[in-house]
Amino acid sequence: MNPRRIWAVIYRHGCEARRNLNRITDTVYWPVQNIIVWGFFTLYLSREHRLEPGVVSYLLGATMLWGMFYSFQRDLATGFMEELWSRNLVNLFSTPLKVSEYMTGLILLTLLKALLGLLLAVLIAWLCYAENLFPALAGFVPFLLILILFSLSIGLVITGLIIRFTTKIQTLAWSFAGLLMPLSCVYYPVTTLPGWLRPLAWGLPTMHAFEGMRDVMARDAFSSTHFEWGMTLNLVYFVFAVVFFRWMFGLAQSRGFLVRQE
Amino acid sequence: MIVEVTQLTKTFGSFTAVNEVSFAIKEGEILGLLGPNGAGKTTTILMLLGLTTPTSGSIRIFNRGYDRDRETILAGINFCAPYISFPGRLSVYENLMVFARLYQVPRPGRKIMELLLRFGIEPLKNRPVLLLSSGENTRVALCKALLNNPRLLLLDEPTAFLDPQISGLVKRVLRELREEHGSTIIYTTHNMSDAEEMCSQMVFLSCGRIIARGTALEITQAILDAKRDKPALVEAFLHVAGSSK
Repeated sequence: MNPRRIWAVIYRHGCEARRNLNRITDTVYWPVQNIIVWGFFTLYLSREHRLEPGVVSYLLGATMLWGMFYSFQRDLATGFMEELWSRNLVNLFSTPLKVSEYMTGLILLTLLKALLGLLLAVLIAWLCYAENLFPALAGFVPFLLILILFSLSIGLVITGLIIRFTTKIQTLAWSFAGLLMPLSCVYYPVTTLPGWLRPLAWGLPTMHAFEGMRDVMARDAFSSTHFEWGMTLNLVYFVFAVVFFRWMFGLAQSRGFLVRQE
Repeated sequence: MIVEVTQLTKTFGSFTAVNEVSFAIKEGEILGLLGPNGAGKTTTILMLLGLTTPTSGSIRIFNRGYDRDRETILAGINFCAPYISFPGRLSVYENLMVFARLYQVPRPGRKIMELLLRFGIEPLKNRPVLLLSSGENTRVALCKALLNNPRLLLLDEPTAFLDPQISGLVKRVLRELREEHGSTIIYTTHNMSDAEEMCSQMVFLSCGRIIARGTALEITQAILDAKRDKPALVEAFLHVAGSSK
């Protein structure tokens, strides 16, 4: 991989992120709006229902991490769709740029944007709701990693599907994470799910990330079980996502879809 | 030979877009790829760029194949077509900078300014591409196409959206490019007078097959009448377009 070409992709999407109101909204507006609404809701719960402070912190933490997970996979797919919407795909891939270099550049910039949104949300929770989540962030790092890797796999699969089936299925970029949310146990423990759904939930790295996060906040303990499960599953999903993406790209090349994407 | 295409075929399901096409191009030559809509010109160009995989046949560029040397081949090629565009919110300069970096052009800022001046669009450098006219867009695409001083330049309808004055400027720049860098050009067009003016050799395609090749006169003789003594490419084109319908 050539770092100068990766940098060119970062530069291209960096310019887009500064100029495109949709991308600014995605990076800044939604994380802020989300944390403000949930912040007031948790204030209400803690005052009226005398919830323990740990539960409030947990709800806010879960909101922020899910927001980051969602925005990362969405921005990865929409970043690629920018090329389709602007009919730039043929331009890009008629240069020496490799698909792996393009995706690396896009992933790096998307990660930066997702982390920026997360930090902004943590800052707002701290300033407006006196919920200092900064100390907990260090304990979240392993589970953040699980979320980032899983959203990367999902982003790759969605992008692969878009390459193959064109922008007809672009709605997946915004809706796919929603499908996983009930089984990811973002706001409730996995034991809340009926017994027959739990094995499915165990197959999702997101469930392990949120269970792990709950352990950090409730008991200040690191759950190696959830971390190991989450990372192992991620490895499997990531390998599958890369193979699937390459397969879809190859199909698009052989069927001439790279030019007929719009 | 800069380009050697042998028995190139591309099928999409039961439809054959390019059917056993073979041709070769020498260094510094301008080859016209002519033919009516649906003749297979664009599919051929896309295969030459490695963007569409051939069903069968082979492509050798700079004596190399895409299976092993994609990066080396594409570093020496560039391309311009009216069916591609640039990210609209990025300025002309930013867009060109992205491609200058992808081609690893030395001193990219200087090269970009030189090309903007050459095509007379230097005042547009900070304007978002979204706000350009189609003719201005084509000139930006041509600037992109010349960023890496390509050994092989693929131009698909480069003068399609240009007025006669700008079209003349573009053709002059292309000829200069050939003189300065010895670039080889593959040029597709529906404009037969452009083809005659620009191309030393031509390949005439219809329904995916080569039906004539050679100079403008040889093409005319092959398609219309062997006894013709003057080129009549428009007449030949209309004859082929009419019979392919």
